[in-house]
Amino acid sequence: MQIIKLRVNGEEVETAIDPRTTLADFLRQHVDARSIHLGCEHGVCGGCTIVINGKMARSCIALAATMDGAEIWTLEGLKDDPAIVQLRQSFHECHGLQCGYCTPGMLITARDIIARYGEPDEKFLREALAGNICRCTGYAGIVKAVQHAAAQLARRD
Amino acid sequence: MKPGALAYFKPTTVTEAIGLLVDGGMDAKVIAGGQSLVPMLNLRMVAAERLVDVGGIAEMKQWSADDREVWIGACVTHDQIQIGEVADPSNGLMPKVASKIAYQAVRNRGTIGGSLSLADPAADWLTTTAALGATIEWEGPDGKKSCPADEFVFAAYTTQLDISDVLTGVRIPRLPPDATWGTYKLCRKAGEFAHAMAMVISAGARSRAFLGATDGAPIRLMHTETLVADFRNWESGHTALVSQALEADIADSGREFTDIQLWQSRTCLLRSIQMSLGFQPIKPEGV
Repeated sequence: MQIIKLRVNGEEVETAIDPRTTLADFLRQHVDARSIHLGCEHGVCGGCTIVINGKMARSCIALAATMDGAEIWTLEGLKDDPAIVQLRQSFHECHGLQCGYCTPGMLITARDIIARYGEPDEKFLREALAGNICRCTGYAGIVKAVQHAAAQLARRD
Repeated sequence: MKPGALAYFKPTTVTEAIGLLVDGGMDAKVIAGGQSLVPMLNLRMVAAERLVDVGGIAEMKQWSADDREVWIGACVTHDQIQIGEVADPSNGLMPKVASKIAYQAVRNRGTIGGSLSLADPAADWLTTTAALGATIEWEGPDGKKSCPADEFVFAAYTTQLDISDVLTGVRIPRLPPDATWGTYKLCRKAGEFAHAMAMVISAGARSRAFLGATDGAPIRLMHTETLVADFRNWESGHTALVSQALEADIADSGREFTDIQLWQSRTCLLRSIQMSLGFQPIKPEGV
């Protein structure tokens, strides 16, 4: 067992873990961060996307042991983040989800895209979203939702 | 889909890391960003009884630059190169390449040293560092070593690194300000590993051209380089000349290419050459 100390959604967490534990399993089991959805568990589906030290990352292909001292945000902790609030509304209005399994990863990825690129065009957006797999919507609603949110947030700035 | 049992160590110096690797022998592996290694551990394609995390070694996260070259520590991420946090010796080639590696969430953690050490033939940095004439540096029980990037890889996943060696950084000479480049890779889906890749750099009367995403090390295209060095413009007649040169280069390499791989490589090479001459790559209809 190994002791790690980190901040998750603003709270200090210190606990002993088995070094083989992935960050996704650690966060779901020890911090109850169940917005983290495990799809592929090898880094291609995007369902487990979170924010590590200010940068979005996949929690299924990070080991919890490597996170000593890290600052982590999951969708739970970002519930009042202005971009996430707008994205949630836009996904609702533009039919950006059906079953919802990919949605937490989509929201965190969309937040990152908007922060980096503002209002990207559809071609760019589809490429930037290519690392998040949705098996329900066919992506049209998701792309519309992210564009809608980006436009709303840009208007506010 | 979970890794097997392992012991985890996070040294703070390269010397300490090498000591831990020597003690672990064949069962020890270096982990940096983990964006290839952890998926392989999850899939149990790789077993490691001991992981040595080089992410705690401060000097490996750094970079430095002078007017001749840029040194990039092995633990610098693709994202840092993409967004220009690291000095660019390549007139924009490296940020462009970085921006097309996998997905943003992966680029944020994956490192240039990790990518080179693993040496997946489709990894972008193998071809890029070879094309830029970079030097790969590493350290092991026998001390510090280095070699030109185009001699670093023997075969797929097989490099000059010995089992207890740690890749520490890459030294990249600056391109002349008027040097131009072109690169293209074929992926069926944005972000996946490429099926074919080419890179061309032209500086004055000299060119360097490489194919990547082959069955092994990147292939240097000497006939193509001689040909491209004389191009000042793209003309339709060049297509046939490039095809001939490429076939001669592949014959020289002694490597086997299927018809599909040859077509894919030629497409990437033609688009790279066109791009290096200042043209938007010409795309076939319907794409």
